[in-house]
Amino acid sequence: MTLLRATAVSKRFGGLMALSEVDFTVAPGEFVAVIGPNGAGKSTFLNVLTGLSLPSAGKVQFDGRDITRAPTHGRVRAGLGRTFQHGRLFSRLSVLENVMVGAAIRTDRSETQLRELSLSVLDRMGLADDARRPIDSLSYGQRRMVELCRALACGPRVLLLDEPAAGLNSGEVELLMARLTALRAEHQLAVVLIEHNMGMVMRLAQRILVLNFGCRIAEGTPAEVQSDPAVLSAYLGEGYNDARD
Amino acid sequence: MADFIQLFVNGLALGSVYALAAIGFVIVYSATGVVNFAAGQFVMFGTFAGVAMLANAGLPWPVGYTAALLAMAAFGALFFIVVYLPLRTSPVVTVIIGTVAVGIVMQNAALLGFGSWPFRLASPLEGITIDIAGAAITAHAAMVVVVTGLLVGLIWLLFYRTALGIGMRAVAQDAEAARLMGLNVNLLLALSWILATVLAGIAGLLLGPMWFADVNMGDPIALKAFAATIIGGFGSLPGAIAGGLFVGLTELLGASYLSSAYKDLIAFVVMILFLLVRPQGVFGERIQDRG
Amino acid sequence: MRRYNSLITAAAILVLGGLLSLVLADYRLRLLNVSVISAIAVLGFNFAFGLAGLISLGHAAFVGFGAYALAILTTASGWSPWLAIPAAILVTTLFAGLIGYPLLRLRGHYLALATLGLNVSFTIVVTNWISLTGGTNGISGIPELRLGSFAFNDERRFLWLGLVMLALCAAFAITLQRSRHGRAMMAVRDDETAARMTGIDVTRVKIMALCLSAAFAALSGTLFATHVRFVAPEDFNYAHSIVYLAMLIVGGEGAVAGAVIGAALLTFLPEWLRFLGDAYLAFFGLMLLAILIFLPTGLVGLAGRLRRLGRGAQAETTR
Repeated sequence: MTLLRATAVSKRFGGLMALSEVDFTVAPGEFVAVIGPNGAGKSTFLNVLTGLSLPSAGKVQFDGRDITRAPTHGRVRAGLGRTFQHGRLFSRLSVLENVMVGAAIRTDRSETQLRELSLSVLDRMGLADDARRPIDSLSYGQRRMVELCRALACGPRVLLLDEPAAGLNSGEVELLMARLTALRAEHQLAVVLIEHNMGMVMRLAQRILVLNFGCRIAEGTPAEVQSDPAVLSAYLGEGYNDARD
Repeated sequence: MADFIQLFVNGLALGSVYALAAIGFVIVYSATGVVNFAAGQFVMFGTFAGVAMLANAGLPWPVGYTAALLAMAAFGALFFIVVYLPLRTSPVVTVIIGTVAVGIVMQNAALLGFGSWPFRLASPLEGITIDIAGAAITAHAAMVVVVTGLLVGLIWLLFYRTALGIGMRAVAQDAEAARLMGLNVNLLLALSWILATVLAGIAGLLLGPMWFADVNMGDPIALKAFAATIIGGFGSLPGAIAGGLFVGLTELLGASYLSSAYKDLIAFVVMILFLLVRPQGVFGERIQDRG
Repeated sequence: MRRYNSLITAAAILVLGGLLSLVLADYRLRLLNVSVISAIAVLGFNFAFGLAGLISLGHAAFVGFGAYALAILTTASGWSPWLAIPAAILVTTLFAGLIGYPLLRLRGHYLALATLGLNVSFTIVVTNWISLTGGTNGISGIPELRLGSFAFNDERRFLWLGLVMLALCAAFAITLQRSRHGRAMMAVRDDETAARMTGIDVTRVKIMALCLSAAFAALSGTLFATHVRFVAPEDFNYAHSIVYLAMLIVGGEGAVAGAVIGAALLTFLPEWLRFLGDAYLAFFGLMLLAILIFLPTGLVGLAGRLRRLGRGAQAETTR
């Protein structure tokens, strides 16, 4: 059973083919990583999946329904969540209020219920004490964690994370990994992770999709991908294969 | 037929003035990202610079015009230092309101300096008319069209054939990269403002004899200039010209053939339609946030 | 974000305003009425601009729409002004919703220019559709508001009515701002992309903000019409839109108190600075520019900053 499916997705910007016929599936509760060198089209791919960008060709389906041209807020309500590469928070709202914006996707809950829900999400991520603080007083790592809380407050079934470890120190990365693992165990949450931190990718991902220049060049388990010559030459250059042989 | 020719030429002349105001507006927007809501007041200042130099000081035409334009250039530099530089890092909204505020100051300063009675600014070609197919065209109107055409040509030469102009365009496209290439970005930005101010000044000097010199004339001109840039295409020089001519022609032809009362509405309705249907205008940029 | 109780604010408005109504003389009472009427309009503008970030330079057109709707209904169709007020608000809000849908796809200076164009178009139409609006002569003879035999026909009485309306509007505005709808509007202004990604229907939020602003503006317009009992095109031209914008900037955008304080301040300022004569407008422009450069969060923001400084100093001394 597939929760999220992309079929032959292409995206063209003028003369540049940012994505070329990319296929992608995510099953409920699965942990999939999307990796590739800089400029490979990973963020563009996330934008197409979330509706911030429309594909030039191809289809996106969620839960069997075609969402290729559906507005972003509709996809969020269906169960698709996402965090951004540098953490995009609402600067005039406090930490708690930011998370409450996410929780407000549940139109049937009262203000008090939204607050409780948001506080419990913050508490699980260890940020309960910072609930009332303004955004500009947070550290970079804390901001990214608040953004994650806000995305979780929307109750997603698939969570797309755009380089969540970027800018975090190793302690924060370990914490993030532990929290993601715990979340998945509790909630049957599928995660799509875009990352450059290979340690994190190899330890958490069940399946990895490798992009380069907008094309899918490999897909498989961490072990398979690590030894795939196409992947190695994409990251290390053509000379690697020649040197090896 | 004679009536139509007369209206058409006068419409072209009025449109040329709008086009000059719009060009100045576009230059500043392209170079600095600032939407100058005081653009109309800049034109008004040009007209009154003419009043000061020619009517009040009684200087002969060439000297008076030159003095007026030098005064406008100085004002442009002043504006750059006092208004643009402090607001450079502020959000779009703040800059818009800032230029509105400056417009209010300018209008009031003119009121204090010149009083509220309209002045008559004479043209150097006062009283001379030309006959085209039975229509009596004022030489001034013809001169406006010719001068505008020459100016547009000169501006094109500046931007595409001189190092200075290319530098200004570079700064307009990417100030950071221009700085890294060793261009003096601040100087080029200041020059963009000064050029825009001088163009507005010329527009004012040309417009004066066609209307009256009135401290309140800035607002209607600004609105027409904005409509012109939207219709022609925001950020596009050919768009500013085409838009300006269109607005001038529809104003005069519309007043005669459609409705004198609603003549001003035509330009705004067209502007709003463009904004709703084709915001990039005829020639313009795609609507994206400036990076 | 300041946290104050909507009831406390409403009470403060009523008490302070009530005291002033008993103490001030007729001319100042008139200015106070103008302040209250403007404050309601600026409260509305705060939803559109302060919260949702819509640069609308056409707010005065909504005020005018409401004012003229009431004027026409009461003078040409003989409606009671009490019925005409909600009707005018409804009509103006519908109008805002209709034009909002295409208009709010625009952003930044495009939206500013479009709303400016709308305001100017409004003025042109109202000036020239003489059979409906009386043209430049306007519409006079608007009936006064009365409850039974008690007529709101002098400044003091009208002020009491105005204060009650303002208190209600302020309480509503604070409640809304602190609710999920207020947060959604602020989210849209702060980061539209992130707002989408948090499940917010950005277009709907913007239209709601515009409709709310139009409703408040229409109420302000109806009060204007029943206060002065005469409406004319130049009362609603885009210069007034600029004034509303200035009132909010000076008072402090995004804050209910800012809207009210800004409205009162900029209504009384020309009075206090009467000695400047013709130079008042130049001073006003310079003051606005100075505030934009040095005090962009307005007076409310300044008060907040001073409070934080005071708190910091207190923390120092207790250490």
